[in-house]
Amino acid sequence: MPTITIDGRAIDVPAGTTVLEAAERLGIEIPSLCHLKGCDPSTSCLVCVVRISGTSRVLPSCATRIEDGMAVESETEAVHALRRTALELLLSDHVGDCLAPCYFMCPAHMDIPLMLRQIGREEIREAIATVKRDIALPAVLGRVCSKPCEKGCRRAPADGAVAVCDLKRFVAEEDLATGEPYLPEVAAPSGKRVAVVGGGPAGLAAAYYLVQAGHAVDLFEREPLLGGRLRSEFSEEQLPAEILDAELESLLAVGIEVHTGAAVATADDFEQLRREFDALLVATGAAAARDAGGWGLAVAARGIDVERTTYQTNLPAVFAAGNALRGKGMVVRSVADGKEAAWSIHRVLSEGGGPLSEKPFSVRMGKVAPDQLGGFLVHAGTAPRQEADGGAAEYSLTEAVSQAERCLGCGCRAHCGCRLERYASRYGADPNRYGASRRPYEVLTQHAQIVYEPGKCIACELCIQIAARGGEPLGLAFVGRGFDVRVAVPFDRSLEEALSKVAAECVAACPTAALSFKAEPFKSALPILGQ
Amino acid sequence: MFDSSRTAIAEAAPTGGEVDLAFVDATIERLGRSADRVIPILQALQDHYRYLPRPALERVCASTEITPAAITSVSTFYSQFRHRPMGEHIISVCHGTACHVKGAPLVQAAFERQLGIADGDDTDAEGRFTVQKVACLGCCTLAPVVQIDEVTYGGLTSRRVAETLDDFLKHANGAAGQRPPARQQPVERPLGEIRIGLDSCCIAQGTGKVHAAVEQVLTEWGAPAAVKKVGCVVMCHQTPLLEIAPAAGKERLYARVREEDVMEIVLRHFRPKGLVRRARYAATRWLDRLLTDEREDPAASLRVDRRDGAICAFLGPQRHLATEGWGRVDPMDIDEHLAGGGFVALKRCLTELAPEAIIEAITASGLRGRGGAGFPTGEKWARAASAEGSPKYVICNGDEGDPGAFMNRMLLESFPYRIIEGLAIAALAVGAEEGYFYIRAEYPTAVERIAAALEECRRRGFLGENAFGSGRRLHISLKQGAGAFVCGEETALIASIEGRRGTPRLRPPFPSEKGLWGQPTVVNNVETLALAAWILRHGAAEFVTMGTKESKGTKVFALAGKVRRGGLIEVPMGVSLREIVDEIGGGMVPGRRFKAVQVGGPSGGCVPAALSDTPVDFEALTGAGAIMGSGGLVVLDDADCMVDIARYFLSFTQDQSCGKCTFCRIGTRRMLDILDRLCAGRGTQGDLESLESLAFSVGSASLCGLGRTAPNPVLSTLHHFRDEYQAHIEGRCPAGRCPALVRYRINEQCIGCTLCAQACPVGAIPFTPYARHEVIDEQCTRCDNCRAACPVGAVEIA
Repeated sequence: MPTITIDGRAIDVPAGTTVLEAAERLGIEIPSLCHLKGCDPSTSCLVCVVRISGTSRVLPSCATRIEDGMAVESETEAVHALRRTALELLLSDHVGDCLAPCYFMCPAHMDIPLMLRQIGREEIREAIATVKRDIALPAVLGRVCSKPCEKGCRRAPADGAVAVCDLKRFVAEEDLATGEPYLPEVAAPSGKRVAVVGGGPAGLAAAYYLVQAGHAVDLFEREPLLGGRLRSEFSEEQLPAEILDAELESLLAVGIEVHTGAAVATADDFEQLRREFDALLVATGAAAARDAGGWGLAVAARGIDVERTTYQTNLPAVFAAGNALRGKGMVVRSVADGKEAAWSIHRVLSEGGGPLSEKPFSVRMGKVAPDQLGGFLVHAGTAPRQEADGGAAEYSLTEAVSQAERCLGCGCRAHCGCRLERYASRYGADPNRYGASRRPYEVLTQHAQIVYEPGKCIACELCIQIAARGGEPLGLAFVGRGFDVRVAVPFDRSLEEALSKVAAECVAACPTAALSFKAEPFKSALPILGQ
Repeated sequence: MFDSSRTAIAEAAPTGGEVDLAFVDATIERLGRSADRVIPILQALQDHYRYLPRPALERVCASTEITPAAITSVSTFYSQFRHRPMGEHIISVCHGTACHVKGAPLVQAAFERQLGIADGDDTDAEGRFTVQKVACLGCCTLAPVVQIDEVTYGGLTSRRVAETLDDFLKHANGAAGQRPPARQQPVERPLGEIRIGLDSCCIAQGTGKVHAAVEQVLTEWGAPAAVKKVGCVVMCHQTPLLEIAPAAGKERLYARVREEDVMEIVLRHFRPKGLVRRARYAATRWLDRLLTDEREDPAASLRVDRRDGAICAFLGPQRHLATEGWGRVDPMDIDEHLAGGGFVALKRCLTELAPEAIIEAITASGLRGRGGAGFPTGEKWARAASAEGSPKYVICNGDEGDPGAFMNRMLLESFPYRIIEGLAIAALAVGAEEGYFYIRAEYPTAVERIAAALEECRRRGFLGENAFGSGRRLHISLKQGAGAFVCGEETALIASIEGRRGTPRLRPPFPSEKGLWGQPTVVNNVETLALAAWILRHGAAEFVTMGTKESKGTKVFALAGKVRRGGLIEVPMGVSLREIVDEIGGGMVPGRRFKAVQVGGPSGGCVPAALSDTPVDFEALTGAGAIMGSGGLVVLDDADCMVDIARYFLSFTQDQSCGKCTFCRIGTRRMLDILDRLCAGRGTQGDLESLESLAFSVGSASLCGLGRTAPNPVLSTLHHFRDEYQAHIEGRCPAGRCPALVRYRINEQCIGCTLCAQACPVGAIPFTPYARHEVIDEQCTRCDNCRAACPVGAVEIA
């Protein structure tokens, strides 16, 4: 049997084996998008390239047959750089959003699409869990949030954004109204103690998630009542005390030791907390900068100086979040800070630290002209945008459902199942490396079960091959050539007719979401940022 | 599903009426029903309907083995096919390299402006003219060139566009006007012959009209001369060229002959028969001179001599192997070919030489493929000969598509029998009984002549079941390309013959193991085959006396661009680029500085003047950042912008990419994006580094030769002319070529003659008689008309 080496590791393989298959036997995963067992190699994506050692020859491993004595390089920086370039080139011509824009616009990165789908299915109990995974104070924010998510909503330029914020409040208030509000699961006790100084939105949120992670939390608030700026910045009309109190009660129910009227006034107080607790979070709001210098914390222009991705101050095991470092910010920003700082503290306490997880990989198509929204609107509810004021004009369940159904579902159906996304993320590909003008967004929905998004197609040829092999009388074909090549149905006939037998096979083989099932919309929840 | 104008398959006939499908049925009957017939069938439909109506395509699918998917993918791949009706006349604007550097983009813009064609459209509102960009018409020495239907116009400028259209419409059947009726009766006992080159490019230069005039003079005056239509006359800069070859006596050459000169020339050598005619001739001459007040003898002033300084310099360094007999032989005269030693080599191969001996001779000659990569021909043949599998095939690759190259067209048009002989020899060497010519459809004359020559060979029994009575089968047939440069790549060419999209596949396996229909196949370039025939006739030893250590024999080049003498040249390997430019080409026009030679077209690179001592040798040219390529040599001067040249080539390869692999499909587009930015003055720091790094990736990881060599023009210009790139980032185009980076202004030398204002097509120069004119920059389209019109050189580019 011929012997070859891949990255210096020798393997005997039968003649006729491809380099890709040989690597698989060695446990080396060479990425490939256009390769599928049983189909002819179309050698189109070229993400699977390897280099023949000692030469400048770069070959697609999926179609290169081994020769005795061949020495192949796969996991080297030079080969990875070429794979990354191939991925970045494909991404530069890949139209869509892996994750919906609202996810990125929301400072807390709440999984808004999931919440909306749950409301649509009348699963309010599931919806509150989705909300509180990222937002500790949804009833409050439902009234005071400045709604950045709605500004990013794809539907906004068409007939108004989905009423995300009002729907979130609807979910939260429905939950509170049950009398048995949602209580998250709490991890087994870690034996670690954390002091949170400041009972405003950032401190409350941090305490809430730290407890869930299994840590014992003591919350110190100088005022007699918790709430911080929530009690001073908003009128009773904007934020009724009744709502705030109910939400605080539900939040504290996870098990937070609260000390009100307990100001940390001096450097000595501060030092004592540091000695007593394993970690300390300063969330004392805009006034923090005044005290912080005296406590030995480095201060920047707007507040306490922290390492932005970990919320770590210059002192060991001391963190800061919310307006304590920003001076002035949206409430949702403070709530988001609290959550992220909590996960950062948790990481220090459990693993000794490390940076917060980065923003998940996503292709983002930016602004979409209203005339390109048609394909999205086909599936979405047709109700006009309706706002609720939290008072007399509250949503009924039916109204909430029809408002939630206005969601265009503009994140990608293949998220977490997409091979392009997976490898782009693994190889650190930058989707904007070649800042090219992108082609228009297009989505074809005439097929009963399948959606075709040509902009996501990477011309891998698999569906064409499968249709031909499956004996489709019409099938699919490449149309045009070069940069403009597209997969299309001959004679402009319907996709239904083109894929009368092998539609499911084509969807399964599609390496992206160019072809996807309508009925199987989303494969996964969106990641919690910072966890 | 898509509404792209190029690819959408048209619903109905242009008039909305029914498409007559009887033609489809007849075509299928004639061409066959198997899946591989798709391209010839589409070509027939396109010829007939002038586009591909959808009902016709559906009819084809219904009554042949061709599937809807196949007909869709094939008919949208090749640029010859159109899916929407076109105008009554087609204006094909050549965008070959030579045409590009001589202003083709301005010419195209001028046609579109003149015809009022909207942006993004290609046909005028009345449906009279369709303007299309073509890769290369192969008339590089006449640049810039357009073809309106069958009539070719050379040396155009945007100013001449209106008069060109007028001329075309005036002779609406212009093509017919160029084809003279031949005399019915051949001349008895001619006293000599008049040789006229009638290759495509000679015709474009007006030789057709001269030919008509010759025939007319001979008929009218009864002059005792035979007219001989010869092939390429190689001195494109001297055309129309007439050679007078008296039966006894010296040959005379007349250059740049006009219709009105013909009578004088012809009758000077072949005096009319009969007393009456001679008297009339004498009287006519006398009268003419009286009326035209002409002192000199016009015929004498046109006469050139093969020993003239310029002609000697042009021909001196050349050796004619592949082009042996240029300008003297009638391409279609098989007897003349036989008399000149044609088919001797083939006969020897059939009767005396074993396949091994043929391959040995080719190997000993050191012949390397002339298509570009320079692979040893003997080795290629040996591999196919020893490969398992039967039948085997040989293919002549006549899909020469490089802009700036027309050597193969010339060889096919001028020496069809020689190429057939070469291909037949290759077939014998590898053990094939079947061969194909694959010739691009843009070369109709080459297609016509090879088809006729093959027919003649079959008629005489040179080819067929019993070639030359040897008992051996030798069948050669002809396939036409349909407009795809990538089909010059051998695996793509094979896909195309098999009736598929011309997309290359990974090699190995090489065609010599698995080629046409999965069988061992040799694909050779036209020039390689011409030389193979020469080697077997004259011997390898003779061949190796020419050339360098690794590159033997000669190389044919199409010399064009900014040299004074362009033409088709054949030089021994080893001569330097400088010799070619200065001696053969006669250097630059006065006042211009030699800057670089573009060698090898879109796969090659620019060799700067400083490196022009580089010899013509495969390895040396690669070392200088270019490649031998198939043989385009475009000479550039200081008015040529190297960034623009790089962008030009990349836009060509980008347009011709088959679209299969990521690096070529998207990578070349992203490189082009950067070059577009640079030329538009929107480049930023870091662009050159991105461009270089992307060029490296595309060059190393693309699937086929097209992609792998596409970055060469960029890399070589970046290497040798980086300062020009840097200047573009700073908003300057040193050569003054990039429209976005230049401004036209009129200096104080202006005499107020208003010619520039009259020439401006967009009214950007207000009429100010007797005063200095001014260009309104916002309206200026940089068409260059004003500068060409100014009699005192007052219009300058800043």
